[in-house]
Amino acid sequence: MDYARFLRLRRPLWDDFGRRLAALRDAPGRRRQAAASSYEEVEKLAFAYRQVLHDHALAATRFPGTGAARQLAALALAGTRRLTRRGVAWRGLRHFVFHTFPAAFHRQLGLLGVAAAVFGVASLLGLVLSAVQPGLGNLLLGPRALAGLAEGRLWTESLTTTVPPAVASSGIATNNLTVALVAWSGGVLAGVVPLYLLVLNGLMLGGVIGITLRYSMAGELLGFVAAHGPLELTLIMVAAAAGLALGRALVTAGDRPRTEAMRQAGNDSLQVVLGCLPWFVVLAVVEARISPDPSLPVTLKAALGLGLLLLFFGAALGPYRAAGDGDGGDGD
Amino acid sequence: MANLDRESILALDNIRLDLPLAGAGSRCLAGLIDGCGVAVLLFLWLLLCSILAMWVSGGWGLAVGVAGIFLIEWGYFAGMEIATGGRTLGKMAVRLRVVTAEGAEAGAGSLLVRNVVRDVDYLVGVPLMAADPLARRLGDRLAGTLVVHEERQQSVLLGRVPPGWSAREVAIVESFLARAGELRDAATRDEMARLLLSRIERDAPELLAGLDESRAAAPVGALRQALGAEEG
Repeated sequence: MDYARFLRLRRPLWDDFGRRLAALRDAPGRRRQAAASSYEEVEKLAFAYRQVLHDHALAATRFPGTGAARQLAALALAGTRRLTRRGVAWRGLRHFVFHTFPAAFHRQLGLLGVAAAVFGVASLLGLVLSAVQPGLGNLLLGPRALAGLAEGRLWTESLTTTVPPAVASSGIATNNLTVALVAWSGGVLAGVVPLYLLVLNGLMLGGVIGITLRYSMAGELLGFVAAHGPLELTLIMVAAAAGLALGRALVTAGDRPRTEAMRQAGNDSLQVVLGCLPWFVVLAVVEARISPDPSLPVTLKAALGLGLLLLFFGAALGPYRAAGDGDGGDGD
Repeated sequence: MANLDRESILALDNIRLDLPLAGAGSRCLAGLIDGCGVAVLLFLWLLLCSILAMWVSGGWGLAVGVAGIFLIEWGYFAGMEIATGGRTLGKMAVRLRVVTAEGAEAGAGSLLVRNVVRDVDYLVGVPLMAADPLARRLGDRLAGTLVVHEERQQSVLLGRVPPGWSAREVAIVESFLARAGELRDAATRDEMARLLLSRIERDAPELLAGLDESRAAAPVGALRQALGAEEG
């Protein structure tokens, strides 16, 4: 077939396909519109796409470099982008909360255990270090906070005296969310960043408890953290475990290509982190408004802390059992 | 064919499609434009919050400001790409788009993944893009995405071709006609058109019938007429 005849016979079809694609692109709410299109319309579009693909293959072989070959290549790519889609589509918030998140969380329980163990060991180390190295208090809290402890005041009082609760909530939430996202994304560096965050937070917690023990203020500190601490530390560990999942995929990809292993681990673990993010917002309100309130009894704060922790684990594990196994991860 | 699985994708019926991949340079340029966009957004947001702070008490202006800064910093890229099907302001300016490794439209999950690791990519992204034949940064590898050029489809198609002309000759004439309007040196442009017309006169003189006058006055127009050239 000569070039001019090829153009004369096939070009109306390309133009028609281009018009259909443009209509799909320009239509408001195009996905819904496409979904609502008649079967006949969809069939016509698919048929035209296939013809364009075949013409592209012919032009690329017989008429390489020509305007027709370039136009067909662009049309074929545009058609592929519009008409094909990889992965599973977003199935709605309800499905995410009651199935996707719990399923992904369950798959990550082993690494959560590893993260908890690292954090626990680091906390113990911090506790021991604070006992044998009195200078650690100065390093962790600063001289001003130490002077306050000597006078029987926790440094956390400044949360209610110097900053309005709304600002404190916002600051705490964004800080914790950033830590969680960094813990996850830093996992791509072979898991070094989540490990660092776990060790650092563990050392700091143990160290701070040790220092307050020395000043006989540990009860006051535990009273302050009782409401928000259990869940906050758990969420940090969950985010770090998600980061470790990424690191594990990089280091031990097995017989799969590393990129593929990391892509799968990334999709799966990000779902866990996304499921945790709203809890950080709740915790920030608790930490800024309830935890520093001296009028609330410690037992109430502890009950709230325990309740929040149970609620989280209930949401993360409970619905999963009801849904059963088999969610391989809703990638897209 | 050696790089079939690396630089091209196989569409329906195993038909090969070459992806017009965006390199590190154009992607960095788009990133720079986006960086400026984020800076402007942050400035406008802070301005709005300072006005809000004058009207609302209890530190709510500052609280909303802090939350907004977080959302802009972490959400601008993912939010824009999800809303526009793989484009940010910078990508729109440079005519780039994020697609999956199969050339399809990327889903919200993939777009989220590739943007949450952006901070790590500020450290290692450029060397990774430079070293990878598909110019993927870390986020692209994690999300299974690529960044491609959105090709302009403007081209010239010849409706008549002298017998014996190869695809290469057709491509040269089409390219010349597509660019003829942009050539500043009119004398050289006309000279090239006359050369091509003389080739047509040798191979298919019937195509030049009735074009004697315009050949001398406007050789590019005569060439278009002779070959039945149309914008593609």
